This record gives sequence, C-alpha cells and structure tokens, in this order.
Amino acid sequence: MARLLEFEAKDLLRKTGIPVPPGGVAVTPEEAVAAAEKIGFPVVLKAQVPVGKRGKAGGILFAENSGEVLTRARELFGKNIYGYGVSQILVERKLDIAQEHYLAILSNPATKTPTLIFSRHGGMDVEEHTGGEGIATYNIDLLQGLRPYMAMDMLKGAGISGRALPALTQIAVKLFDIYRKNDCLLVEINPVAMTPKGPLAADARISVDDDALFRHPELGLDEGGEVGDRPRTQIEKIAALIDAHDHRGSAHFVQIDPDGALAKAEGKISIGFDGVGTGVSLAAMDELVPLGFLPRNFCDTSGNPTASKMYRITKVILAQPDIEGYVFISCLSSQQLDNTARGIVKAFLEIYPDRMPNIPCVFCFRGAWDETAIAMFEQHGLTRSPFIRVLGRDATERDVALAFRELHTGWRAQRTAGAQA
Amino acid sequence: MSGVMSFEVFSGGSVTFDLATCAKCETKACVVACNVPNLACVLELKDNVPHLKVTQEEAKRGACIECLACELACMTDGIGGITFSLPMPEWDELIAGAAARGETPGFQRS
Repeated sequence: MARLLEFEAKDLLRKTGIPVPPGGVAVTPEEAVAAAEKIGFPVVLKAQVPVGKRGKAGGILFAENSGEVLTRARELFGKNIYGYGVSQILVERKLDIAQEHYLAILSNPATKTPTLIFSRHGGMDVEEHTGGEGIATYNIDLLQGLRPYMAMDMLKGAGISGRALPALTQIAVKLFDIYRKNDCLLVEINPVAMTPKGPLAADARISVDDDALFRHPELGLDEGGEVGDRPRTQIEKIAALIDAHDHRGSAHFVQIDPDGALAKAEGKISIGFDGVGTGVSLAAMDELVPLGFLPRNFCDTSGNPTASKMYRITKVILAQPDIEGYVFISCLSSQQLDNTARGIVKAFLEIYPDRMPNIPCVFCFRGAWDETAIAMFEQHGLTRSPFIRVLGRDATERDVALAFRELHTGWRAQRTAGAQA
Repeated sequence: MSGVMSFEVFSGGSVTFDLATCAKCETKACVVACNVPNLACVLELKDNVPHLKVTQEEAKRGACIECLACELACMTDGIGGITFSLPMPEWDELIAGAAARGETPGFQRS
C-alpha cells in the first residue's frame, strides 16, 4: 500500500483545512536549524520514513535551541529506521498538549465500508493501551458520505463535549473528504493533540490504494514503494514497473525470502515461483515446502495477463540470485493459457538460446488453451531439456511438487557428479 | 520488397518486420497466427508481406494485444523476419550490476 510521508500527509490535511503544527522539512542539519529558528523553540525533529513506531526507534527527538537542533539533526540523518535511511526531517514546534485522541477513516474489509474510528486515548501504542475501551466506530455509507451530524453523534457517544465537539466533528468530516478525493485506504491522525488553541493533527498517516495511484500523479507516490513494513527490494521495484502502466492482467510479485536467509535457516532450497491465482499458489506451496523447497517469491499472474507481461515477469523471477529451480502452476484457469505460455517461452528462448535451462523447471497448465500452451514448449524445443517438465490438466499440486523434486534430485546428482569428475 | 514495417505496443516496446525477409517467407505464419479467433488480428497480408491493418495509434493503444503469436510462429514456421522487442532497462541494469553486488542471477548460476 502506497503511503505518504508525514509531512506530505500533513500538507494534504492543511490544504483541506485541518490544523497542523507549524513546521518545515529539512534535508540537511543546517536546514533543520534554519527551520527551527523560523518556527521558534522548543521544537521536535521527526525522521520522515514510511513506517510507524518511529519514536521507539529513536526517530523523534526534541531540541531547545539551535545547537541542540544541529546535534540531533546530525544524529537523525545518520540513522536507519526499520530499513529506511533518513534523508528528510520534519521540524515542528513542540506542542503544549492537554490530551491526545485518535481519529481515523479506514477501508474496513469486514463491513466493506469506510469506517470512522475515534478513541479518546491517542498517541503511541494506542492499540495496546486502549484494549478496545473508549473506541467508537461509525460505518459510513458511501452514497451519503459523512455528514457533520453523523460524526457529531459518534463523538458525543464517545464522551466528547463542549468546544472540542464541533472542532473534532469538522476534522472528521474533512478527513473523509481527503479519504474520498485521494482514493485512500487509511487516513489517520494520531494523536489529535488537544491544545489551548484547539485540536491539531500532531501526526498523520495517509495510505492510498495502489490500484488507484495512476489517478493521483499529483501525490508523487511510487507504486513500488514498500512491502509491508520494509522497503521494496530492487527486483520488486522492477516487477512493480511491469504492472504500473499496463492494466491488462496482473503480475503481482513479492519476495517472501529476499536474500534466501529464511530458506537457509530452515534448511530448505530456494526456488522461483509463479502461480495463476493466489489459491493455487498457496496449495502448491503447501506441497512444495514439506518436500524441502521454499519459494523465494510469491507471484500472481492471473486476470489474463498479456504474453508480454508474462515474458517480463518470468525474466524477473529467473533473475533472483541462487534459486535452484522454477515452478509455474495455473489453477483451472479461464485465462488464455496459450498467451501465458508464449510469454514464458519467449523469456526462456532468450535466456536459454540452447533450450537447456541451468535449473530444474516444472510448468503446469490447466484450463483454457492448456493443450496449446503445452504444445508450444515442444514446438520450441524446450522439452528436449532433461530439466524441464510440462504437466497438464490431470496434474494436481502434489504431482507438480513431486515432479519438481524428481527433477531437482536428478539435477543435484548431475552437478555433484560434474564436480567430482 | 525492402525496408521494415514497425509499430509500437501498449506496454512499451515495438514489433519490427524485415520486409525483405518476409517477402521470401512462404508460410506467412505471423499473419496466420494473428488471425485466429482468440487473438487480436492486427496483421494482414498486402503485397505479399505482413501489413498492419489498424493504425499505428490503434496498435499502440492496445489493438495489438502483445500475445507474441506472430514472433513465435515466425520462429517455428517462418524464416525469422520478426523482432518483438520488449525492453526492460531496469532489469538489464540489475543483471549488469549483479557481479558487483556479489550476486549471481538464478539463470546464470553455474
């Protein structure tokens, strides 16, 4: 999920009329000092990385004067926080906070609606501290939107009263405006800082639906930005480019074990993997893993991708370092498997002009045009290789895993014999 | 017949036909492969060589579905007049820089 940095998220909040603390972004310690002197002391320096719990990782520091800003900023710029190097710092005025709340709108998979969430207790570890107590939710009807009275009812129910009530209501309504206009999955203010001057968004998180990024070039988000809480690997970024500008079918690629460390730790053999559908991928992995093989990547090439997309993603999968094999398996698919096969075949012919792959490869085509797909491997001479096996619609996931193990055993034996000779 | 017939495709890339070679081809397998019911049909035969029957803009907008059938048919049944180029400059850089990173891409391992 593509995520804005805090200062970018706050910029959106500010433009929508939600109050945020005065601040500025710095890319050098000297710029941080200049920003702090402009804002006034004391200040807080916040590392701009797209992950939560920065405070615990030492990514948020306070400073009382210019000298301290310089020291703390130098400290922050050298840091690596959960895999992200710090190249930008947000410098903000330290707030006089009387109370912290939590306010968010998220795409709720359980209700299939945007859900407004409010907690009287905000701040760090809000999930752990509240234990569900004092949390109010309201599922928003997309056709109606979030009207002020809806938000106000919810906030009143959560115990908010007095001057805070209309102020927080306004923020909630504007937050929904941001959520809708930017195709967000999450818009979160944590904490909403209650100050003598009213509520302020002390921290903000905005995540945008990856599939809607093409509609928002103004956000400047990179589709290959992150995977969960880690930055994307170089190879994942290359894979993301394949889908970025071509909506025809998917090539969703993510590395489960990017450096092969997990396979090594568990005594398993790292392999490249591609599945037409996530269900069949899981079923195939369930068969491969007990036999000693751990896919280095997950890849879903479903939705009838073009052959050109298959060609590109196959090259990406095969480029993963040190893999000892490649497994492709389709579900009982309605997608045109002949197109799927053409992409794979073109990639193999280019990478292995002699038609002799250096690692064992098993392909299983089941579904529309599967016989044409299988025939293509024969027509292009790929089945002459002892380390390629192509299976059809009668094969199960178990058959695929066993066929791969058989090929891999033979491949290993040949390598061992070659090394001894 | 000489020269080339070329058009760009939606995902970034191009298809190029060496018309001198294509004129000598007896099967015109690319045109046959393109004109089957489950594919897109952007090629036709004109003056004994493959000809784009949609506009360049239409082909680039997705009329050519990049099924690669023309190129693969040309490899097996034709005489090698087609180049379906699908550049991946970032992938090329990844492979070129692998040795410097101490890595061996899976397809290059010994």
